[in-house]
Amino acid sequence: MSQRYGFKEARKRYNRIAGPLMAVYAVLCLGGSALWAFLDVDVKFTSAILALAICAPVIAVLIAKLRYFEETDEYTRLRQLRAFALAGAVTVSAVFIVGFLQLFDVVGQVPVFLFGPLFFLVYGLATCTGRWFGKTV
Amino acid sequence: MKNQLRLLRTERGWSQAALAERLGVSRQSVNAIETGKYDPSLPLAFAIARLFELKIEEIFEDESGEEALAAE
Repeated sequence: MSQRYGFKEARKRYNRIAGPLMAVYAVLCLGGSALWAFLDVDVKFTSAILALAICAPVIAVLIAKLRYFEETDEYTRLRQLRAFALAGAVTVSAVFIVGFLQLFDVVGQVPVFLFGPLFFLVYGLATCTGRWFGKTV
Repeated sequence: MKNQLRLLRTERGWSQAALAERLGVSRQSVNAIETGKYDPSLPLAFAIARLFELKIEEIFEDESGEEALAAE
């Protein structure tokens, strides 16, 4: 995969999108939760729209992240993709483990929301620590 | 793969950040190449060679190739 932009330009393009989107997410989270409290819970369609609207900025940031991987320099791309893959593997493993533990009544209900932060935590740590493990390629 | 990148860079008085800027990569990329943690792709190796006006083989040394030749 060839480099479409310089490292700095690619990072700038990502930050230009990710920053405002996360701000929108924060506003939607707070505003959406407050709005939902006033809604009639039987209005499923409205609740679903509200829930999806709050999720949209997070999905958009993930898409921007994928675009950043394509646009940045090859070493950064490699490190980021490795960290992303590791985070994905850990999160999916956690989903399966917790899912089956719940199915067999070993553990109670675990909030699905915890898996999102788990992904980003592992991704962040793996991005920082990737350079400690010797030769990259 | 050994390389002469650090030597060439310091000869010109460039910092890692300055070289990274010229190549359009991150400073971490330059550091990883210099310390042998990362071997650049052919396009990046050509870009480095062009920047220093040298041939690729004057900058990068194929250790495994030399070992294979020595074994023959």
